[in-house]
Amino acid sequence: MHKLAAASHPMASDAVTRFDFLVIGGGSGGLAGARRAAELGATCAVIENNRLGGTCGGNVFHVFWKVMWNTSVHAEYLHDHADYGFEGAQAHFSWQLIKNKRDAYVSHLNQIYRNNLDKARIQTIQGNARFTDDPEPTVEVSGKKYTAPHILIATGGHPSTVSDEDVPGASLGITSDGFFELESCPRHSVLVGAGYIAVEMAGILSSLGSKTSLIIRHDGVLRNFDALISSNCTKELENSGIDLWRNTQVKSVQKTEQGLNITLGTKDVKDKDAKEKTDRIQGVDCLLWAIGREPNTAGLNLSQMGVKLDPKGCIVVDEFQNTTRQGIYALGDVCGKALLTPVAIAAGRKLAHRLFEGKAESKLDYTNIPTVVFTHPPIGTIGLTEDEAIRSWGKTSVKAYTTSFTPMYYTITSRKTKCVMKLVCVGKEEKVVGLHMQGPGCDEMLQGFAVAIKMGATKADFDNTIAIHPTSSEELVTMR
Amino acid sequence: HQTPPLWLCGLRGSRRRRVAAVTPSSAAGTHHYDLVVIGGGSGGLACSREAAQLGQKVAVLDHVQPSARGTAWGLGGTCVNVGCIPKKLMHQAALLGVAMDDAGKFGWSIPGPVSHDWSTLAQAVQNYVKSLNWGHRVQLQDRKVKYFNTRGSLLDRHTVRGLDAKGTEMTLTARNIVIATGGRPRYPTHMFIHAWTEVMFGIFNKVTFALVKSHGQNLSRMEDCGASVYVGLECAGLLAGIGLDASVMVRSVALRGFDQQMAQLVTGHMEARGTRFHWGCVPTSVEKLPSGLLQVKWTEVRSDLERVEREDTFSSVLWAIGRVPETTGLNLPQVGVQLHPDTGKIVVATDERTTVSNVYAIGDVAEGRPELTPTAVKAGKLLARRLAGQSNQLMDYHSVPTTVFTPLEYGCVGLSEESAESRYGKDNIEVYHAFYKPLEFTIAERDASHCYVKVVCDRAGVQRVLGLHFTGPSAGEVIQGFAVSVRCGLTYAQLRDTVGIHPTCAEELTKIHITKRSGLDATVTGC
Repeated sequence: MHKLAAASHPMASDAVTRFDFLVIGGGSGGLAGARRAAELGATCAVIENNRLGGTCGGNVFHVFWKVMWNTSVHAEYLHDHADYGFEGAQAHFSWQLIKNKRDAYVSHLNQIYRNNLDKARIQTIQGNARFTDDPEPTVEVSGKKYTAPHILIATGGHPSTVSDEDVPGASLGITSDGFFELESCPRHSVLVGAGYIAVEMAGILSSLGSKTSLIIRHDGVLRNFDALISSNCTKELENSGIDLWRNTQVKSVQKTEQGLNITLGTKDVKDKDAKEKTDRIQGVDCLLWAIGREPNTAGLNLSQMGVKLDPKGCIVVDEFQNTTRQGIYALGDVCGKALLTPVAIAAGRKLAHRLFEGKAESKLDYTNIPTVVFTHPPIGTIGLTEDEAIRSWGKTSVKAYTTSFTPMYYTITSRKTKCVMKLVCVGKEEKVVGLHMQGPGCDEMLQGFAVAIKMGATKADFDNTIAIHPTSSEELVTMR
Repeated sequence: HQTPPLWLCGLRGSRRRRVAAVTPSSAAGTHHYDLVVIGGGSGGLACSREAAQLGQKVAVLDHVQPSARGTAWGLGGTCVNVGCIPKKLMHQAALLGVAMDDAGKFGWSIPGPVSHDWSTLAQAVQNYVKSLNWGHRVQLQDRKVKYFNTRGSLLDRHTVRGLDAKGTEMTLTARNIVIATGGRPRYPTHMFIHAWTEVMFGIFNKVTFALVKSHGQNLSRMEDCGASVYVGLECAGLLAGIGLDASVMVRSVALRGFDQQMAQLVTGHMEARGTRFHWGCVPTSVEKLPSGLLQVKWTEVRSDLERVEREDTFSSVLWAIGRVPETTGLNLPQVGVQLHPDTGKIVVATDERTTVSNVYAIGDVAEGRPELTPTAVKAGKLLARRLAGQSNQLMDYHSVPTTVFTPLEYGCVGLSEESAESRYGKDNIEVYHAFYKPLEFTIAERDASHCYVKVVCDRAGVQRVLGLHFTGPSAGEVIQGFAVSVRCGLTYAQLRDTVGIHPTCAEELTKIHITKRSGLDATVTGC
């Protein structure tokens, strides 16, 4: 691998400033890659057109998410207080208060990112990046040109929207980005989507006091998750008082003085002869589209560069994050795979070690990546679903262990929630290839099991581990 | 071939007892039962249920000797009635109390004062415990395990005598006998106590006393609350969480046997939140005053030469000074079952066998075993399988994970830093650590200075993980999975190579990279 320039200053020749490593996008993946590269001695610059930290920490998501989720967890606790002997805990919620605190915390994080970059002597360039027509890959930002032998695209993604041509009035709704701009808790929210973002937002809004409806196209949420999670989560949403519309799509949206009127069409897709039923939800003050995310690739002028995109517009990469153009790499949400902060961070670091430390084999293993969905209660999942395992190995080689119980916390409360768990095991030695669970505490439970599963743990390894009592996690090591 | 000796049939000596009909033997061959278990707690029930499931004819004897205050309880043992279960529910109540303070910062305004009613909590907990008692009885019935609510003892190596509360006597013969009678709190004997009715419960290792200053709260059900070193702290912690004023008196160190740096973080957190600690103190007397309050006198040992006498008044006093094995009345020495000279616990081999070849002991009553429900349960199950001839697998007592449910929870698996140092040498271990801040503490503006993770590794080669320690919310839920990976031979690289789950506290364990050796600041910043 090439030796790095000893100088720590970028070289400016004519109008093009040269770095060892140029990163487009100052989100989780981009920052992690740049910082690691700088630690390894590379001169680095990060180009960002918004706030540092990206989707995860800079603008929206992650921190906002978990803070809002924590806020709604308190709502749940407040319901249980009387059962545990506390008298007098009637609470009112102030959206403004939490928004202010959240915003303050995120500003604080922005500052930390900036300080980290400054300490690492990484140059930050504010503005929109676009590849030029120059023979060597060159990026232009606000009239200035930059180049590097290694350029990383980590521009992330944005929420998908529906056009007004497809659904009249669609633009009257907001996306998850807009959720964080809300100044007050909507009285009546309608969310569209069945993925984890829709489900998380619906749960948070509902527990903070918003009358919440969730519109889903099929008959369950989280259809890409294990069937146990999909069905349990759908049930939990309904149990929590969310108005769930199955097999339904939004037909049109009108604005009135009392709020939005949303026209819905319901048709069971499995029944060919069924007629579509029309309904209307009136007086909605917040329509939220959560129907997917798209990569931020428009405007980069990638077609010019020979960087191949897939049909959805995501940048195609190999296992080492190489794009189809030599010297240009991509990772994180812009690649459309495993849209998670820790994944982007890990991929960024692995790439830095490959490019600047000569570790030719350095890459991220995308199997067995643990994920938590902050629903009520939270979901933890890693590895293959039972169906995926059966598709790969055949039904006779797959054994699934499941359990369902009421966590002890709920034994003395009037409000109850279940915990469901499944281990997907393969082969004679019953290697654990998937773990799926939903219940209180599953968010903190999963990490340790993720380590074990990545190490190749078997059911016997689980069973031979002593339980910690009394916890919910012990159910995973005592399954029959 | 054995028949019960004549003298058991009511003709013995001058005291005649009514003798209940003995259950006739059938499939058990020459004995009434394949297995008789004395003690219906975590270990005893697990063992008997497993044995019955494997086709053995099993009986369980369970009986609770009332405490000095007259308290007794139903089937299920310490864990269910006066241990883990009520403890965790009360701990949960305390966490809710703390959550209410936090709720305000999250935008929740609670008008008016909020108070805690002990009797509501106590009643709710009792109802749940009773449902568990009932559940256990039903389960035994379903598994066809014969249950006797009688006090068992050994007449000989194959004969168990049962005595119920009314004085009715019975005998059972068994091919194998398992003793799982557990332990009871130690009562202080070295000092003068007038108020015997206020003496509470005990913990293993005799080093922590907990004193509680409350306002007219009746703490009678706190009695017999736990089985291990941490009980005093857990109880003081949960009392503080529901708004009661609690102090802890400690003779030397807290959480003896645990990693001491972690122990200090646990107590440091409690002190920061207002629990008073009296370190290096030994109580000398407890007297009941005319007002009904208790006057406690103690000696503060500042050094070998300097001792200060102190006193104060409290509403209640809780003793958490150790536990003693429940072996009196079992008639063990006479039958040949050896007890440990210091602890009084039953001496056992690696297969749980006592010095009498067909008599076994598991759980808290056995010498050298951790006083934990899950180890008793697992040991009981494995023993049942061996006795039924289904397996040779022995119980592995290494790397037992555990969690202390103090206000700031502490979970761990494997060696403490001190143990690793003494076993491997300080230069041969590498300790990675980090002070982190749970996201939920940020908005709540809570002091996170005691939230900490530490991974102790073998310095050589692949850096195998020897011990893993975590203080923070949901420690029990965090540690379980890591315990599986430690069992699988976890190395530092494997830990770091696992993608973290974001944002959680647990992920901090996959991010640790600062060593103690480096001397660098181990505080996690940003994301």
